[in-house]
Amino acid sequence: MPVSVWGAMNNPRIAVTGAGVISAIGAGLADFTAALWAGKSGIAASERLGGNAAGDIGDFNPAPWLGNKGVRILDRGTRFLCIASQMALAETNLLQDPAGDGDPDLGMFSGTMFGGIHSITAFDWVGQTDGPSLVSPMEFPNTVINAPAGQAAIKHKLRAVNSTVCCGLASGLYAIDNAAWFLRFGRAKYLLAGGMEEVCEESALGFRTMGLASPTGNVQPFGTARNGTAPGEGSAMWMLETEETARGRGMTPLFEVLGFGGAHDALGLTYNRRAEGATAAMEQALEMSALAADAIACIIASANGSPVGDEMEARALRNVFGDRISGIPVCAPKASLGETMGSSGAMAAVIAGLALDKQELPPTAGFSGTDTGLLLSALPQAFAGEYALINAFSCDGNNAALVIRKWTN
Amino acid sequence: MAYQRVVITGIGVISPIASGKDEFWKELLAGKSGVRPVQSFDSTDYAAHIGGEVLGFDPSAHVKKLPFDSMGRASQLAIGAARMALSDSGIDLASIAPRRAGVAMGTTSGEPIYVEQYNDIRKASSPADVPAEFFARYPCHVMPAHVASEFGLHGAASMIPNACAAGNFAIGHAFDLLRTGRADFMVAGGADAFSRIPYLGFARLGAIAPVKCQPFDKNRKGMVPAEGAGILTLETLEQAKARGAKIYAEILGYGVTCDAHHMTSAHSQGEGGVRAMVAAMKEAGVSTGDIGYISAHGTGTPTNDRIESIAAHTLFGERAPLVPMSSIKSMLGHTMGAASAIEAIACALAVQTGWIPPTINHEEPDPDCGLDIVPNVCRRVDPRVVLNNAYAFGGNNACLCVGRYE
Repeated sequence: MPVSVWGAMNNPRIAVTGAGVISAIGAGLADFTAALWAGKSGIAASERLGGNAAGDIGDFNPAPWLGNKGVRILDRGTRFLCIASQMALAETNLLQDPAGDGDPDLGMFSGTMFGGIHSITAFDWVGQTDGPSLVSPMEFPNTVINAPAGQAAIKHKLRAVNSTVCCGLASGLYAIDNAAWFLRFGRAKYLLAGGMEEVCEESALGFRTMGLASPTGNVQPFGTARNGTAPGEGSAMWMLETEETARGRGMTPLFEVLGFGGAHDALGLTYNRRAEGATAAMEQALEMSALAADAIACIIASANGSPVGDEMEARALRNVFGDRISGIPVCAPKASLGETMGSSGAMAAVIAGLALDKQELPPTAGFSGTDTGLLLSALPQAFAGEYALINAFSCDGNNAALVIRKWTN
Repeated sequence: MAYQRVVITGIGVISPIASGKDEFWKELLAGKSGVRPVQSFDSTDYAAHIGGEVLGFDPSAHVKKLPFDSMGRASQLAIGAARMALSDSGIDLASIAPRRAGVAMGTTSGEPIYVEQYNDIRKASSPADVPAEFFARYPCHVMPAHVASEFGLHGAASMIPNACAAGNFAIGHAFDLLRTGRADFMVAGGADAFSRIPYLGFARLGAIAPVKCQPFDKNRKGMVPAEGAGILTLETLEQAKARGAKIYAEILGYGVTCDAHHMTSAHSQGEGGVRAMVAAMKEAGVSTGDIGYISAHGTGTPTNDRIESIAAHTLFGERAPLVPMSSIKSMLGHTMGAASAIEAIACALAVQTGWIPPTINHEEPDPDCGLDIVPNVCRRVDPRVVLNNAYAFGGNNACLCVGRYE
């Protein structure tokens, strides 16, 4: 059984020592935190996206974080990933000398859903309209799905593992778990872990045609009148290292990455109304954390306003926590961020850390009542406890859950 | 407590030279080429015209539970190879605890057919005419979702799309889950479908050979895009023995590194490639003297093969020319995200049967390479431990260490 193997291996403790984030409500932890706790929403009609609602970052200048050299060839999502990574590296004293060789013990796991779909589509479009001989070979590398992580490695000189993880809306949490295990195995010393996503005309159209997008653009996770979500974009990256590595270089561990659960409902590309996989993912995460459900002090939900997906999550939460669920504070940050897809699990994880630090959950923006029996609020919710549960359940049937703890020695 | 040992118990492969383990291995040892003129699209306007396509693939013969036409070709190929691997393994999935059987997949392009069709529709009419399901079926997480759904695998399901090293990453991930007791049974490998998009990219890079793929030959002229799927079933040794499964080989470890140097060119001295091999051997607890065969990345481009040779010389020193290192891409072409998974299958069969596949199309040795590339004819060397190298866009290097089960 998982617990016996996990518990017997004398695993090093995995510490979060820093974070970086860029989103529709702010870039950098300070702005992001202030906006989130103020209940601000970044979801609005996007001019760039034909007036459709999105958690759109809009025009932004990457130069303050990335300088100007070599940035032009990076596509939008790659810039987000490089910026969030830059912040996390700077905060943890791991920015590499641009003239140096980089660090063979510094790597990255990045989740994404659509990857560079816009770059791929544009590449093929030129081939089909202008003709194959007019396609720029320079654009080809941006068409491979792992291009953003590869570009980030070049930009930041990350020479250990460089891996992209695609598990739909659960990608960010899978990426964090993968990174934690690479550290436990001793394959790297420091790993950026999280996710990235851009909203482009193709992914926005996809949200509309797939029926994921709210027709009113009013995203109300778990809300009684929920009618869909809006695509969001950005990147969130944690810096993970073992306790020993962190202490050895004078870093203060902030949070501990504990158990992870991953389960697929395997019913085709759909949510499972019976919530079996989502329930199993949370149960596994608790089991691998050697925790009873009672220990969880707050929950960062996956809910994005999807009528089916949110109901599935609510059911799974009742399955795991029973009647006690009505007393555990829940936050659904996609009310502020939109569904940021491959990065949403990572953004949720960053928020969980901020909440543990403050002992207070941020508001669920615009919350005005739920039929799910869950404890949400349009105001911050105080709590007392060490452990947070983070959910990331995907519309393709993949489910992930992660437990983190406020660092205690 | 030590980690559990992880073994390969089932093999499924769909490739340009043959499909099914036995036929594939026979043709591979015979040195058959699957490289032919491109058939799946009109290559007239492209700078190249050959590819490694899987001919006569009937998805309805492989995809049975899900509607076979509800998914792209990469998913169909993956399901086909997975069905073969599951059948070969003799597993009764009902005997595995729910949530303890998972999927780990790799790919380079996922399901590019939907981007192609989106653009075709956009060109002919308007994006508004694009069917809704296109966007649900494009993101590459659909491949493990489809495999999980077709066979009822309810554990963790991951796609690790690390381009041309993706298969090794996926197999390595499955190895990690099994060795730490987080799963009991894994379906792992890679798949890619032939597509005009990567073909155009490689053509525009001037990377595609005009006539044939000749890895490590002095006159090599490039790689050949191809398609296929390679899927393994992996499980703990304990479980494999308990159910009396046949065991092909053991996964001993893997190493992954990044050059962080250039998106499409490896480091000039193969620095990251050497580190990946060293890491894989360290994890496996073996040394260079134990390595009896290397399955090369060996794409056939002038640069790749030169750098890969430098890496081998750096690591093995004077022994380098004594360690046979062949490239089956000489026969299959480059099956992208499937490549290192199919090559891992070749490694497993090499340690199980004692035979190693050749590098075909060899005419003139390249003094810049200076290795034993097993030219043109397969050979019996009874390797005990082998390395499977894969390099990818983004400067990714992944090396899988496979050992004879003893």
